[in-house]
Amino acid sequence: MKVPYSWLREYVPVAIAVEELADRLAVTSVEVERVSWRGVADLDGNFDRFRVGRVLEAEKHPNADRLQLCQVDMGEPEPRQIVCGAWNFGAGATVAVGLPGAVIPGGMKLERVKLRGTASDGMIMSERELELGQDHSGILLLPNDWEPGTPLADMFALGEPILELEVTGNRPDLLAVYGLAREIAALYRLELAPPPGTDPELLADEPVQISVEDLVGCPRYVGRLFRDVNIGPSPPWLKARLSGAGMRPISNVVDVTNYVMLALGNPLHAFDLARLTEGRIVVRRAHSGEQMRTLDGIDRKLDPRDLVIADASRPVAIAGIMGGEESEVAEESDSILLESANFERVGILESSERLKLRTEGSNRWEKGVDPYLAEQAAKLATELMVKLSGARWVGHVDVQGELPAPASITFRPERADELIGVPIPADEQRGLLERFGFEVAKDWTVTVPTFRTRDVTREIDLVEEIARVHLDEVPFTLPARRAMWGRLTREQRLRRRIEDALCGLGFVEAYSYSLVDSDPDPKAIRLPDPLTAEHAFLRTTILAGLIRSLQRNLDAGNEEVALFEIAHVYLSGDDELPAEPVRIAGLTWGGFARAKGAVEALYRALAAPEPSFEPARELPFLHPLEAARVGETGWVGELHPELAPGEWGAFELDLGALAEVACDVVVYEDVISYPAVKQDLSFVVAEEVAAGSMIEAAREVTGAELRRMDASDVYRGPQVGEGKKSITFAVAFQSSERTLSDEDAGALREKIVRVLGERFGATLRS
Amino acid sequence: MDVEKLEQEAASALEQADSLEQIEELRVRFLGRSSELKLALREVRDRESGMRLNALRQRLEAALEERRSDLEQVELQHKLMAESIDVTLPGEHFPEGHLHLITQIRREVEDVFLGLGYTIVDGREVETTHYNFDGLNMPPWHPTRSPGHSLFLNGDVLLRTETSPSQIRVMEAQEPPVYMISPGRVYRRDTPDATHSPVFHQVEGLAVDRGISLADLKGTLLHLMRALFGEKRELRFRTHFFPFTEPSIEPDVSCHMCDGAGCPVCKRSGWIEMGGAGIVDPNVLEFVGYDPEEVSGFAFGLGLERIARLRHRVPDIRLLWENDLRFSRQF
Repeated sequence: MKVPYSWLREYVPVAIAVEELADRLAVTSVEVERVSWRGVADLDGNFDRFRVGRVLEAEKHPNADRLQLCQVDMGEPEPRQIVCGAWNFGAGATVAVGLPGAVIPGGMKLERVKLRGTASDGMIMSERELELGQDHSGILLLPNDWEPGTPLADMFALGEPILELEVTGNRPDLLAVYGLAREIAALYRLELAPPPGTDPELLADEPVQISVEDLVGCPRYVGRLFRDVNIGPSPPWLKARLSGAGMRPISNVVDVTNYVMLALGNPLHAFDLARLTEGRIVVRRAHSGEQMRTLDGIDRKLDPRDLVIADASRPVAIAGIMGGEESEVAEESDSILLESANFERVGILESSERLKLRTEGSNRWEKGVDPYLAEQAAKLATELMVKLSGARWVGHVDVQGELPAPASITFRPERADELIGVPIPADEQRGLLERFGFEVAKDWTVTVPTFRTRDVTREIDLVEEIARVHLDEVPFTLPARRAMWGRLTREQRLRRRIEDALCGLGFVEAYSYSLVDSDPDPKAIRLPDPLTAEHAFLRTTILAGLIRSLQRNLDAGNEEVALFEIAHVYLSGDDELPAEPVRIAGLTWGGFARAKGAVEALYRALAAPEPSFEPARELPFLHPLEAARVGETGWVGELHPELAPGEWGAFELDLGALAEVACDVVVYEDVISYPAVKQDLSFVVAEEVAAGSMIEAAREVTGAELRRMDASDVYRGPQVGEGKKSITFAVAFQSSERTLSDEDAGALREKIVRVLGERFGATLRS
Repeated sequence: MDVEKLEQEAASALEQADSLEQIEELRVRFLGRSSELKLALREVRDRESGMRLNALRQRLEAALEERRSDLEQVELQHKLMAESIDVTLPGEHFPEGHLHLITQIRREVEDVFLGLGYTIVDGREVETTHYNFDGLNMPPWHPTRSPGHSLFLNGDVLLRTETSPSQIRVMEAQEPPVYMISPGRVYRRDTPDATHSPVFHQVEGLAVDRGISLADLKGTLLHLMRALFGEKRELRFRTHFFPFTEPSIEPDVSCHMCDGAGCPVCKRSGWIEMGGAGIVDPNVLEFVGYDPEEVSGFAFGLGLERIARLRHRVPDIRLLWENDLRFSRQF
């Protein structure tokens, strides 16, 4: 909503600087996007350099076919000679002239110049050059009764500040200049002018044929009939206001409907009576299969839920949204049927969404327009129609359904104090509500004005009315807490430990979209109507996002790429909502070994027992032979070479499963007092024997005194023979109770040699 | 033997010695097994000459040791001087990890509220319209309910459009008081650009207790804003409209770039919009079975990407999703 300041001041005598007003409104009433400017800049003396001129003579420029040479009476002793490029006028025309020294909108300064050898002592301005509209086909023609030499600023708003507001859905009353004036009058305790619009004399009593078949969708329809309408351009003051409000002036009748909508907030529509079949209006729901072409030239398929304004045979407007091309007011229109109606908001909102068509009108209807406003809007429109188009008002009808009675609410001023957190005297609260248009009875029964019915229905809504004016006085306190036990949950603590551990290992945390273009899991949830095909599936694994990020880093030439991400994945099941476990995924340079090392380090960081690693074959995105299940937690493997060039290790673990094995409290074990006996043991085994199985078997037979057994080297070659390998284990025997003797260590070692021999055919290399 | 002569002889020899080898030679010569002194000591028969010779031995030992220590120092200095390096060369390389900027901000916010005694709730992202809209007092015709704004799985299930549904679930599950924040991913049907993303992060907060007021909200948000943007920050409220809260406000924080004087970051207003907030609408409290006459509450929501943009001057939030290490390693 753009509000020209002079228009606002017609209704409320606000005298402060517009920026100051904007600051106040932004806090108490409505978001102010900015304060802009329309028209001529109000620089020192600049307004005075734009004046009314009367063309005394106009003829072709002697040296240029496309220019006119004019003598223009500027109310001075001598006429001025002005060269002009437009041809839509001749001698006798009244025009707008910018004199030398004037700065025109856009910042150009006019000078006395020679054009094709002839002096030009000013510039005859077009509508667009004065920012009164878009028309640039010729110069602006002014009423002939304007005196030459009169400053244009005396006749209309030559240039003025514009308040650009972002009105929230709860305040449709502020989508009107008068509504904003009412708000400002209340805030600053100023006197508000009575609502604009006074009916002129009704000159006949012709019937106006309106039938409303759906009084729910259209609780009110004021129809007014005008004859002998002269369609023409609007006067400059009206163009200035419409342009300032961001609307394009079209013709006096259309401009009047827009002007009234902007002034009061009630959208109107004007029909060419001659183009309505049988000259009648029927408000009804669309018939199925019905179509119409709207003013924007588009053929619209209507839905039986759409409310339409029809004539005797077909729809002529989509109610509240847009008129039809066929009944549009045109230059030759002579009789006009004016609609000042009220439409139910949700129906308009839904139709507008269905048709993907939003207009100034629908924007107001969908927020809810006061049904009592239609009459005042009709009055203002009638007054202006008669004044501006010379029309005769000859008919009137007001069809009404049941209009809502004003709501009343019981209000407790002390309740406002409690919720706002600052005491505000009761009589001040009463005064404020009254200035906002509420009636407050002695017993604090509050009657809501009809222009606020939508927003204010409960006591809390009245509290807001008080609060918004006192926001700056609200002090800074904290809740008087009696019971607050907040701390991180175990899973949240673990998550932080994991994040920190992975950072410590040199991994950089990545974030990637939960929505992906494809997913390895055939049961992955697909969005029926995704944003794009790239965001069609809810991921069941984080890996794809990391691969994409890896690719980006490779393209950028970044080295030592190691990424991790912790996020939800989405697993569909039998419930209405999918399971959303949290996963930890990593992708790193250095292939399988580095990824596995990271997983092992992560387990150590969580003080979790080392997991088992079982070969995994079923993960399509990993190298078929370099992939393993990590206990019950997830997987680790070498990325399938088709997915990225080079050797990349990847893992994905489940946070919940990790939480199962993570140790919160580590209990002391004596690893200091008694020394360990360290040995290297090498075994020759068949190629397919896994080192992990050997360690597991060794542990079984030795118990806790086998403190460490790590495979430290694998050798293949002639010394061990075809199909065999030699694995060297770094072994440490240690007891927490005594120093192990050589005999003790020897016995433990014998047990290992025996069990590995029995189970795996392993022979000890000496 | 002539003690004085021997002592003088040793002193001058020590003085001339300039290597540890020579010191060792002198030790053998003056104190060794077959040295004059040792031989003399072996011959001693009376207490007096024994004491005299022992005293001499001690003096010689001390002198020898002193000279040895001096020479060791000299030698160490020589060795160190030969080991000069270019200290401007880089140290050994450690690949350092980084938390994502949004994680860093999320933790900061979490820590502020943990300090105030709030719990942190990691809510679910796929939600029902019941929790995402109905529970938040969003009427059936609210625009966010339209598939044009939100991402639906079916008519009743969608990707949450804000983190508030978790607040409804928490309130349903427990009696007041409730003090919680809920950070996480939220989803809108927005095409990615410099300031929009179909997936982004919010943190929402909720306090429901006896006597909660707008003043409590103001103090809480000021505390948070000072933690995030510095101790000099001020906070103001502007009126606004949200279905979930009544009265609704938007908090503004005084600009951290210009301290409120006006600059491009705050669009010359001195204030920066930080999100939405307000007093929890009584309908919401009733929805979860709380009595609005007994308890009241405040709620707020902030965008974490917005904080990243403002505080770290990240010009384009898509950078936060690209994970280019040149970007990530800055933070």
